[in-house]
Amino acid sequence: MVLFRAASVPRVLTITSATIAAAVLLGGCEIQGSDNLPRVPDQGLVMYAEANWHEAEDTAEVVAAVFDDGVAVNLVGGDVFEARTATERVLLTKRGFFAGSYAESLSVDNSIQDVFFNVVHEPIAARENRWYPVDLIGTDPGPGELVGKSASVSFPLAVTITAPATDTVYHSINDVIGLSWISGNGDDMRVLAAVNCTDGLATSSYGVVIDKEVIAGMDVDDGDEGIPMNRIIYDLNQGSGTIEFVRDATLMLLQELLNQLSAGNIDPDFLLKQREANPIESTCNIRMFLQRQLDGQFDTTFDAGTVIGSTSAEITVQYLPPVPL
Amino acid sequence: MPFARHLLIIALVLCAAKIVEADNKQLDVNFGWTNLDTGRNDNFKSGKALAVHFDYFFKPWLAADIGLYVSDKTLEESQQDIVGAFRTSIQSQAILLGVKPRYRFKSPYEVYGRLGLQYWRTELELEEDFGTGVPAGQDSAKDTGYGYYLSIGGAHYVTENVMVQLELRHMVQLDVFEGESQFPFDLTINSFGFGVGYRF
Repeated sequence: MVLFRAASVPRVLTITSATIAAAVLLGGCEIQGSDNLPRVPDQGLVMYAEANWHEAEDTAEVVAAVFDDGVAVNLVGGDVFEARTATERVLLTKRGFFAGSYAESLSVDNSIQDVFFNVVHEPIAARENRWYPVDLIGTDPGPGELVGKSASVSFPLAVTITAPATDTVYHSINDVIGLSWISGNGDDMRVLAAVNCTDGLATSSYGVVIDKEVIAGMDVDDGDEGIPMNRIIYDLNQGSGTIEFVRDATLMLLQELLNQLSAGNIDPDFLLKQREANPIESTCNIRMFLQRQLDGQFDTTFDAGTVIGSTSAEITVQYLPPVPL
Repeated sequence: MPFARHLLIIALVLCAAKIVEADNKQLDVNFGWTNLDTGRNDNFKSGKALAVHFDYFFKPWLAADIGLYVSDKTLEESQQDIVGAFRTSIQSQAILLGVKPRYRFKSPYEVYGRLGLQYWRTELELEEDFGTGVPAGQDSAKDTGYGYYLSIGGAHYVTENVMVQLELRHMVQLDVFEGESQFPFDLTINSFGFGVGYRF
């Protein structure tokens, strides 16, 4: 057997090594796409899975990963995540944004309540994107240790945003976006925002997350929250201490969502692009995704997990810097 | 064994040249660089191939063309997906039967073409590597079938009987692994070669 380049790639890759390349450095502001995973314990077998159903879409974005002692596990040899509803099934054959994470789109409709995640061994189906006759030649090392493990999520109530109006314009980072929605059953809420700024010469694009750690009480599903613009728009010269960039699994989910909504026409590194325009001095298009999250369940063989079903809705607002007198 | 078989076929081609007692015979030996394409997301490196042709001219401008084509093992660049790292290789042989029209200028040059059918035999090999802790593997499959070939070339007569040649070749092997797999493919081999021809 001739060993070629990937032979030296270990089955388990650390998040750190896999994501250093994704780190984006910019003048005065270092932003890393991912350098660790919050809420992933250092020890034990941990499941991460999320299924997000965006308003009016006929597919949900599903992402999944397993961590062993804090390290993402690569499924290899035909082991693959399966996401299944009562009527549809997909294998998560697209790589996510960090090693060991996987993503795919799953067809859904209003009859769908639950999504079941399973690790299955499908040596032929997992290779279907290869060019050669995968049903004729192949080597099958057999199922790995994770095969048979599972998790399930349910979709919470759909999100309906009632304010602000689309394309509302804000002129100051001291402004507050009055976000209103039809309240639900008390599930967790958070906002993801994809920001694209231009000063006429250069552009900046990035993603931010606004959750209960950024704004106390943000998670409460009470139908009303004020989002300070300074949690989204920042001054490159002052640093970005007021905002939390999306990273890790959230980065993966938001990028997948943007990809879905643009029919694949968005830059795959949109949320990691080099930041050249100073947002506070630029015209910014802000796509805000309000997410309702409902915790799911994971296999008892996992020591811990973050398993979420979510629904989301989008509102776009604009930031125009004040015109100097 | 394949080497012995190739030698045998080459010997047959040479014998055919001996047997046909006429002035209008030609033996061409071409060496070329190949480019393989299955029409899918393959990523083959450049390969090498040898072609031997015997031509019998039943008109000054038209010959029957019989030949043997042998490629080396052409490797693909290693690729990585969620299953692991993999690399394929293809090795192919073909018997060629067709016609060879030509046009000879007053100067010591001629242009020619080839057009015909081929009977091919192709072996596809796969190497897979899954990383530490999971055993790597290797598998292969062979198939035979029909296809076609065409080429265009130019020759310069060094002497009245000996010429040097440049030739562009296009070969298509149809329905490789048809009936054995749900994912058959057509293998296209384009090549650029040089060689020598001997008229006798």
